[in-house]
Amino acid sequence: MEKKSFKGYIYLLPSIIIMICFTLYPLVRAIVMSFLGDYSIINGSYKSIGFDNYKDLFKDPDFFKSLRNTSIYVICVVPASICLSLLIAVLINNCKKFKAFFQTVYFLPYVTSVIAIGIVWRWMFNSNYGLINYALGLFGIEPIQWLNRPEYAMPALIIFAIWKSMAFNILIFLAGLQTIPEDIYRAARIDSTPRFRVFTRITVPSLAPMIVYSSVIGMIGAFKVYNEVFSLFQGKAGPANSAITIVYYIYDKFYNSYKYGVAAAGSVVLFLIILAMTQIQLRVTGEKKKN
Amino acid sequence: MDIRIENLTKTYGNLNAVDHMSLNIKDGELVGLLGPSGCGKSTTLFMLSGLTTPTTGKIFFGDKDVTSIPPEDREIGLVFQNYALYPHMTVEDNITFPLINRGVKKPQAKEMALEMAKVVKIDQLMNRKPGELSGGQQQRVAIARALVKKPQVLLLDEPLSNLDAKLRVETREEIRRIQQEVKITTIFVTHDQEEAMSISDRIAVMKEGVLQQYEVPQTMYLNPANIFVSRFLGTPEINNIEIDVKDGVITADGVELRRGVSLADGHYKAGVRPESFHVAEGGISLGVEGIRMTGRDLLIFSKFGNETIRVLVHSYMQVNPGDKVEVSVREGHILVFDDADKLIGRF
Repeated sequence: MEKKSFKGYIYLLPSIIIMICFTLYPLVRAIVMSFLGDYSIINGSYKSIGFDNYKDLFKDPDFFKSLRNTSIYVICVVPASICLSLLIAVLINNCKKFKAFFQTVYFLPYVTSVIAIGIVWRWMFNSNYGLINYALGLFGIEPIQWLNRPEYAMPALIIFAIWKSMAFNILIFLAGLQTIPEDIYRAARIDSTPRFRVFTRITVPSLAPMIVYSSVIGMIGAFKVYNEVFSLFQGKAGPANSAITIVYYIYDKFYNSYKYGVAAAGSVVLFLIILAMTQIQLRVTGEKKKN
Repeated sequence: MDIRIENLTKTYGNLNAVDHMSLNIKDGELVGLLGPSGCGKSTTLFMLSGLTTPTTGKIFFGDKDVTSIPPEDREIGLVFQNYALYPHMTVEDNITFPLINRGVKKPQAKEMALEMAKVVKIDQLMNRKPGELSGGQQQRVAIARALVKKPQVLLLDEPLSNLDAKLRVETREEIRRIQQEVKITTIFVTHDQEEAMSISDRIAVMKEGVLQQYEVPQTMYLNPANIFVSRFLGTPEINNIEIDVKDGVITADGVELRRGVSLADGHYKAGVRPESFHVAEGGISLGVEGIRMTGRDLLIFSKFGNETIRVLVHSYMQVNPGDKVEVSVREGHILVFDDADKLIGRF
């Protein structure tokens, strides 16, 4: 028995080593770093040990702005993306003729570089000759300064992110839809189920495990949003930092302000938030399963 | 509700899954659609349900032509082979679902569901999910769900194929009991001849999309329309032998089987069921090649001409391989078929 488990660990060794080097060690270092005042990554010197970084962090209005923005982002993007993806997945699934074509088209955002997508969306959001303002103009809506005015920066980011995150969700839901037996739908037909009720009472409950999975993965991903901000606002966080997110804040503190300790403290806070959110989610869904 | 099927045909590519089928089913009858897999029996059932559209032909429920009426408006209950219960709903929700879809108020729907659950004896399981039920219980839920909307016709697709042997016998009696209690015209599909014969009022035997015979079970068993039907019904399978008729005497392999029959001279195909033999001194002498004890009967294998034939005798009879038994065929139990495999008569 002992021997057997020892052999097992040898097989696991490569991935354990990689995990330790690239996940566990940086995690521990970041936590340690967050308690070192004026830490320098060049020579490893520091001036104090304690909560100075956290004090600085919680005094910084930009950090709170990033917290607020990230929360808004998560609350808007995750549910909207899941609802829209569900709808589109069901539509694609019912479309017999061009199923393969649409499956590919909807998956494109997932495999395309965020930077490239960002360039396209910058053009679409352009206030003078962008597609979005043109479309809105058809309904008599005045051109919106999507990317140049602080109050529109977050909405622009959210629209962009919803579109981008749908690809993965649609893929998951399409896979889930394949697992629902055809006979259940036939039975529903015999039972004279109205179309919308088939969707709400049969399709959605059958996809519940995929919806939970997508929301957990989507939420964790959304809390770590950075690429989308970077690509949409060309490396900035929107006009007057109006679309700053937690990870962007951490990035900015680390690479632009050289405040390594504060950046580390920010990462620890983000880590705790994600940890708490996933715990709540797992508990809620776990309890549902029991019932 | 009387059901009339007229010239029903379903074509897939260039294959006729169902080929010009015509059938009349009387109100309140239990009809078994019987045949080997791929014979078109399930296709027929799904055309009756409306889930499959016929290529040509008509279906009447009563005097009403329902051929182009969608399944939801046909007033049918359908039980799927795998039951197709809604897995995330409780038993009660499964049964009330069709009622609520039809606009029945929730309290009334619950009452009707409970009533139907009592008929199929699952009223103790109303709060369970399908995953927590046995196969037999799931089937009862499926039947209750099909019957709760008070349909005119109940359709069952291979209702017993997912159950184990003991439960199968139990459940088929249950289906019969429920059908009698609700007094509903019922059509079920099966490939098991014993199942079909034991509970059906009438059986429709199909082969390669063509209806072979539609008859009361006992009549069909005794007077199969053709060799296919004679072989399909009954276990152990009927013995097929070649016979010669000359001057009213039937002989097979040189052995006289019957005299004084009114049949034209010639060579015929014949069938003799294993239980049609009885032990008789001075009868046909058969060498015993093997025996199988089945309980009530003893099955003897013997060479007759070039064929191995099966003979059933009472289980108290003491025979061993190598022994000789003398048997004769009961009066009227030699089934004689013509060149087209059709039954000519029994002698």
